[in-house]
Amino acid sequence: MKPGRVVASFDSATGMLRALSRFLHGRDVPLIGQGPAAAEPLAAALSGAANRLPRGLKERAYAASGWAEAVPLRQVGGIRSGALARWVTGHYPHRRSDVAFVGSANGAMIHLCAALGAPWLPQTLLIPVRRHGVHPDEPREDLRRTREAGQALVTANPDLVLHQMHDANQDRLMIAGMSYFRVKWRRLPAAYRHYLERTLAPGATLVVVDCELRWPVTRAGPRHVYQHGAPGGATPEEYEDGGPRVADYLRRYGSPHRRWDYPAADGESPEAEWGFEPGLLPDLRELAARNGWRLARMSFAEPEHVSPVVADLYREWYRRRGLPADRLLAECFLLLEPWWTLRSGSVPYWMVFNTEPSRASLTGYLDGADPFEEIRLLLFSHGVESVGLATIGQWRETLARAGKVGVFTGVDTRAYPRDFAGLARAHRELARIRATVPMPLPMKWETAEKFLADRDELRWGTEEPTAAPGLDGRPGR
Amino acid sequence: MSLQRQDHVVDELTVAGHRRRGPGPPVVCVHGAGVSSRELLPFAEVLGERHDAWAIDLPGFGASGKPDRPLILPALADVVAAWVEEAGLERPCLLGVSFGCQVVVDVAVRHPEVAAALVLAGPTVDPRGRSPWRLAGQWLRNAPGESPRMMPLNVADYRDAGLRTVLAAFGESIRDRIEDKLPLVTVPALVIRGSRDRMVPQAWAEEVTRLLPYGRLAVMDGLPHMTPYRDPRRVAGTVAGFLSEVAA
Repeated sequence: MKPGRVVASFDSATGMLRALSRFLHGRDVPLIGQGPAAAEPLAAALSGAANRLPRGLKERAYAASGWAEAVPLRQVGGIRSGALARWVTGHYPHRRSDVAFVGSANGAMIHLCAALGAPWLPQTLLIPVRRHGVHPDEPREDLRRTREAGQALVTANPDLVLHQMHDANQDRLMIAGMSYFRVKWRRLPAAYRHYLERTLAPGATLVVVDCELRWPVTRAGPRHVYQHGAPGGATPEEYEDGGPRVADYLRRYGSPHRRWDYPAADGESPEAEWGFEPGLLPDLRELAARNGWRLARMSFAEPEHVSPVVADLYREWYRRRGLPADRLLAECFLLLEPWWTLRSGSVPYWMVFNTEPSRASLTGYLDGADPFEEIRLLLFSHGVESVGLATIGQWRETLARAGKVGVFTGVDTRAYPRDFAGLARAHRELARIRATVPMPLPMKWETAEKFLADRDELRWGTEEPTAAPGLDGRPGR
Repeated sequence: MSLQRQDHVVDELTVAGHRRRGPGPPVVCVHGAGVSSRELLPFAEVLGERHDAWAIDLPGFGASGKPDRPLILPALADVVAAWVEEAGLERPCLLGVSFGCQVVVDVAVRHPEVAAALVLAGPTVDPRGRSPWRLAGQWLRNAPGESPRMMPLNVADYRDAGLRTVLAAFGESIRDRIEDKLPLVTVPALVIRGSRDRMVPQAWAEEVTRLLPYGRLAVMDGLPHMTPYRDPRRVAGTVAGFLSEVAA
């Protein structure tokens, strides 16, 4: 199977990879990078019409779209991590850089990379796996049906850890016909190694993006964990023990259950989608030492902790360039537009998802920042009125914080959270903004590093090269 | 109490007005090109519950007197400014709809002492659509979203005004460069756009707000160009909210 078919297209890591690699090629991201710009008007019109379909049909369409891009169960053992890594590095232009990033997916970090003109290599990819006949609220049964395929995958790929993830809250429609296999590299794949060696010169910096978020799991086998739910609107306790919000949600969706029957948790593990698996560190240290690179580790407790840092970095950068810096672009999940962020002179604030905690993080940032004249909001629609979803009314309150213009961008407020058109309209509407500014030259890495190292939201650690370039076998500390 | 007809004479021309005298400060509604206060009466009726609401006919339109030849935009603005004084209103809010926005912006920049605030509902004309053909195309695309009950009112308005006056008003709306005047508006201004307005693109509504020194944009979900006719209560609520903020 082609790697591009194995990996989910509608996922954070691949969405971010597309957005950043297109940016480094000098392009924006129409149709979230999944189709030609010329198809955008048609896609927007068709998906807008689809938004008017009855709810049941739309929910089935969501489920079918997930199923259609998933890998058949029996083919999972044939997936090879080396090919996936080559597919990732193939996205980027061949160019020297004085900094590169590797590790956790993070929307704010993507804007950091865009500002610097630097690439990022994801540690984690999502492989959606087809399986039938499991009720979304029965995770034990999901694991029972897919454990064997999981074992086949990790046996064939000793460099991977499988973080199987089951989120019956937010992924309810998608998991009807598939299971989420998130794989993390614990050894650096050859393609990443070669790519980094071709990109970074001696003295350059390799930044490890280290999201420390952990989540309850059940160990399903060697290098195979099963994660109970996922960050978003519900808490780990609600996934584990249920609660009034969970019971109400399950009742609304006509489920025979009132809580989920996850297998007993026996520990915590780096969070499947965002968390960094530190098993990769020794390889990165060794590679940095061998090539005479500095190794920097950017650690943070939760994905959204990077967002205010990068937002402020952009704001300061605009002000240094003599621009107003009074526009905010609030982005959600994989709806990211690094190119238009810079062309519209917007400060990017990335949110993990469309939930109350994400909205609270955005309003918290607005509370502490100088007021914005304009606020634009991109909202990802996942099709489910899930626990902790922030409503359109609540988002409106946030938009009212703008001095002049507080608007949804590409959101069909009547269809949300079952808004297919957002994927086509977010870019389309953003690209219509009339007040644009020139694309800046890349930011200097020293400037950015100094800024990042001073911020409390991040822990910044650096390891200077201990071996002269070209000397092998001297792992640094 | 509902709407009452009150006419005034300005420069030897009768200016027809409809008023509902609510407790709040005065708001004067100015209609779009070729039409009259007819389309704004239901809105003035609702707004009059809270404000001293007026809807007037510009000279040449509706029940107002007919000048010898159609008035150009600055002349229409001068009439509105003189009418405010004649009616004895103390710095009202001027609310324009469509072409009416161009009139009230002209009043605000050439007679800065007249208005205390502006409301621009569906401000025309987007400089990127400034041609008769484009305007006609936008008008046609917008029409299906409007209330079907508005059509007979439009027809009556066009009949009252006559073809020459209607065309002259559209001509004035195309010639006027509102974007040059917006930065000179010194009072708070609320811009209203229906999310399904095909005559006022979102990017233009944002640009209008951006150009106004004290502008603020309200997007009304699901409404077409003529927001006050399509949903008088929602628009009146938004306007009243804006005016209480301005007063505070």
